[in-house]
Amino acid sequence: MPRLNPSAHNKAHLLLTLVLLCLTGSLYQPLQLWILVLVLCSVAIRLSLYMNWQKHQISLRTLNLLAILSAIALAYFGWQLGLLLGMLNLLVMASSLKLMLLGSRRDYFQLVGVQFFLLGTGLVFQQNIAFSLFYAVLALMLLLSLAFHISPSTRFVTQLKRVGKLCLQALPLSLLLFLVIPKLGPLWQMPNAGSSKSGLSEKVTPGDIANLARSADLAFRATFSGAVPKEGQRYWRALVLEEFDGRSWQVHPYRSKFRERMQSSRFSFAPPVAGPTFDYQIIAQPTQQKWLYGLDIARSDAPLVYHSHDYQLISQIPLQSTFSYQVRSYYNTPLVAAYPGIDDNINLQVPKNGNPRTREWAAKLLQEHPDPKDYIAAIESYFTSNGFRYTLRPNPMPVDPVDQFLFDDRAGFCSHYASAMTYLLRLGGIPARMVTGYLGGEMRGEAYMSVHQYDAHAWVEWLSDTGWQRLDPTVLVSPMRLDFGLEQAVAYENSFLADAPFNLAALKNIAWLNQVRLLLADMDYYWSRMVLGFDRQNQQALLRSILGQLTPGRLALFGLAVVALIALLLGLYQLKQWLPHRHAPATRYYQKALTMLAAQGIERPEWQGPQDFSEVATAQLSPQAAVYFKQLSALYSSHQYRPASAQAQKQSLQKMRLLLKRLKKALRTAPSFRQQP
Amino acid sequence: MKQSVLGKSLRSRWLQRYFDSWLQQRIPRNRMFRLDLNNVFIFPSRFGWLFTALCLCLFLLGTNYQNNLILLLSFFLLSLFLVSLMVTYFNFAGLEIQQGKVGNSFAGDSACLPLWITAEKEQKKFGRLHLSLYGEPVQTSVDLDGLNNPVEVEIPTPARGRFRPPRITLCSYYPLGLFRCWTHLSFDCELIVYPTPLPCPLSVENRKSPGESEGQLAQEDGYDNFDSLTEYRLGQPLYHVAWKQVAKGQGMVSKKFSSNSQRAVWLSLGHGAKAELEKRLSQLCFMVLELSAIGQTFGLDLGSVIIEPDSGNAHQQACLTALAVFESDHAQA
Repeated sequence: MPRLNPSAHNKAHLLLTLVLLCLTGSLYQPLQLWILVLVLCSVAIRLSLYMNWQKHQISLRTLNLLAILSAIALAYFGWQLGLLLGMLNLLVMASSLKLMLLGSRRDYFQLVGVQFFLLGTGLVFQQNIAFSLFYAVLALMLLLSLAFHISPSTRFVTQLKRVGKLCLQALPLSLLLFLVIPKLGPLWQMPNAGSSKSGLSEKVTPGDIANLARSADLAFRATFSGAVPKEGQRYWRALVLEEFDGRSWQVHPYRSKFRERMQSSRFSFAPPVAGPTFDYQIIAQPTQQKWLYGLDIARSDAPLVYHSHDYQLISQIPLQSTFSYQVRSYYNTPLVAAYPGIDDNINLQVPKNGNPRTREWAAKLLQEHPDPKDYIAAIESYFTSNGFRYTLRPNPMPVDPVDQFLFDDRAGFCSHYASAMTYLLRLGGIPARMVTGYLGGEMRGEAYMSVHQYDAHAWVEWLSDTGWQRLDPTVLVSPMRLDFGLEQAVAYENSFLADAPFNLAALKNIAWLNQVRLLLADMDYYWSRMVLGFDRQNQQALLRSILGQLTPGRLALFGLAVVALIALLLGLYQLKQWLPHRHAPATRYYQKALTMLAAQGIERPEWQGPQDFSEVATAQLSPQAAVYFKQLSALYSSHQYRPASAQAQKQSLQKMRLLLKRLKKALRTAPSFRQQP
Repeated sequence: MKQSVLGKSLRSRWLQRYFDSWLQQRIPRNRMFRLDLNNVFIFPSRFGWLFTALCLCLFLLGTNYQNNLILLLSFFLLSLFLVSLMVTYFNFAGLEIQQGKVGNSFAGDSACLPLWITAEKEQKKFGRLHLSLYGEPVQTSVDLDGLNNPVEVEIPTPARGRFRPPRITLCSYYPLGLFRCWTHLSFDCELIVYPTPLPCPLSVENRKSPGESEGQLAQEDGYDNFDSLTEYRLGQPLYHVAWKQVAKGQGMVSKKFSSNSQRAVWLSLGHGAKAELEKRLSQLCFMVLELSAIGQTFGLDLGSVIIEPDSGNAHQQACLTALAVFESDHAQA
């Protein structure tokens, strides 16, 4: 049976449709293509219903068939998506099907609810300012849609004003709630949102980091209190890679198993630390991974941070959203080996085959320089004296990459150098490993340091008698990399951010654009720090600054105070309702005169008009008062009923005020006499 | 199984009765209501509950992903919920509802209860106001922004007799549909429901009035011969109006016709069986209407109630009322 068209010129439905369209657009990455198509179809259907081109809704039977087919398709394609993406796809698919059949009020409200939830889910994937503003606009549109659903005949501008007022009233309340409602840790493990498009990874094949270096995305920001590390000290450790197969480096399986065991028994690595420190807060961008960043030796007392035995900082939960933690780095403390036997064992392993020339050369070098220090010095001198080049455009090295790099190409990115160096050290019997992370960081005045993906770096650590020593072969070849960063180091070949020519970071040379870039970065920084990075520690600091010591009694009182404050605010918003109604001035003056007369015993019956009453009253008043009251009544009538210019109205109001004063005086000096009936 | 259902319905009926009597005390009958804390109810609507559940879901999502933006969204929606509570209430409270003159109706038809809705203290009120009879689906919805008074509520009148209209439920979801704010008003009016007119052949009795001697041909109003002009009385047929005179500005004057053959007639209930009573009353109702329409002078004799012959609107009303309330307790039982 054809159904009537409930959407014809229905602004509520139109707005809801637009919201679904925008939401889907903003989530296009995690959504499947066919679901996008489905959404577009349903939007087209709804829009044509809105314009009344199409008069009848799609029939229930057709829709049910479509729903079954979609469910089968989702079950088939969405099997490997994982829970979060699967749920997201399911919700968007259900929304689009619901939108095709939007009929009853119940359908509408359900769809609105789902849209709000989708808004929340979208924020899992993106949290920057622009995106948040966009989502705020979508939320406003949803509320407008609701308002139109409840009162459909109101004009758009009026509706916008009303909803805007509601939102402005709700905003302080929500900020208050945000600040005081206790921040809980994650209640249960949530499904992962999928890997991010850029960032380090647990497996490095030399050349990978070169790709990473083409990205201008932010990795993390650090806010220092006190000393700031100099350029050469900014080695941010992220991952330690100890397993080498001749081509790629990755986290050693034994190490990750060991860490898991330690983490489950809550056994954290605590090496002796002393000496000067850097103190800073890091706000890390979401990576969907667990590793964190820190300068050696990094110690953090944030609740969700674990210290591993290879000096890494590791989060208990994947970084689904911006994550902030406080770090103290003891930069002069040597990195002692946690378990020397294990560390030795793991870090001497080399693959049996491959890279024959390198192995041969290493054997020869070891014969010449049996002492580890000499051996290292010999390799270093090989790097510095054979025309090695630092490049973002290395040749592909499919077979025996170390051989090709050391003896043929002699050009590579940091991971080539680190990889070759570590391999050579291991061949020479020196325990060594590759560390990846970031080198550098851009200071913004004294405020904060931004570290971007193009700062990604790889270096070498070898185990001496005193502990792990950092060795950065890249710097031997390109000292500029250390002091001036990647951009200067590869300036000769113009390859910095060559893939993103319009990125603001690539246009640093244009002064005003650079200003814009820095301004945006500042905004983003404060956004990340104040809003995204507001965590339990910040909250407790805030409460402590208000309450002093946090005793249960004080907290309970504070809770009550917050509830009272919310009630007060809600009351204040409706202040106009509580205040007594204030008439227009003319009415007020007349009413005052009436009250004065009533005090003298002359009351106006409700049915009597001002003119009639003035005749009745004058008969009972003293002559003087009678004249005043008569004039006042006449003025009141003419002010109320005769149109006049603003100037004239003002004058008559003034006159009324004067008359009122005189009437008061007259009544006081000569009280009225009651006429005998 | 059956017993439990029965028990349930009994209990719910008992609850309903209890609630009704409570409501009777809470909002007694009145001609005019000012909505305030004493007579307004407010509770989250179904969507309101969905909305709170949504807030909770977003809170869990935000907490588990340690995502402050989702938490902010959740708190924002919660605050909006709270603000909406106040706005809904204050938009609804402060309305003043006054009943207008309610018209009478016939059984099986419906009466119209006009309501004058204004706002206290010249406040502005927004959104839609839904009106319905107590416990029944929404009948009319009006926009408070541009309200055309009076708002008319139709009250079905199934049986004849004196009838007190049921409570009228007013409700509003302004601004976002999160809360339902409502009241059940009981208006202090009584309407009279006439029997359903039942078409039948006219059967009248000619009867002598007590003061009238037999055989004398009284000049009765008829419509055969023009007799004279009299002042127009409400209820006289418009085709009797002397429009020429009206046009000359002599006021509403109606032509008086004389008729010798027609004199006051009587409608009487007769002594039918009890079962026939309702049918008889309906027929009488029809005849009263018919005779009034042609301007006939007639009297009504219902045994216990006798209405002297007359004509015009007032007389018609009196007759119909008599028919409506005649043994109406018996009729409604």
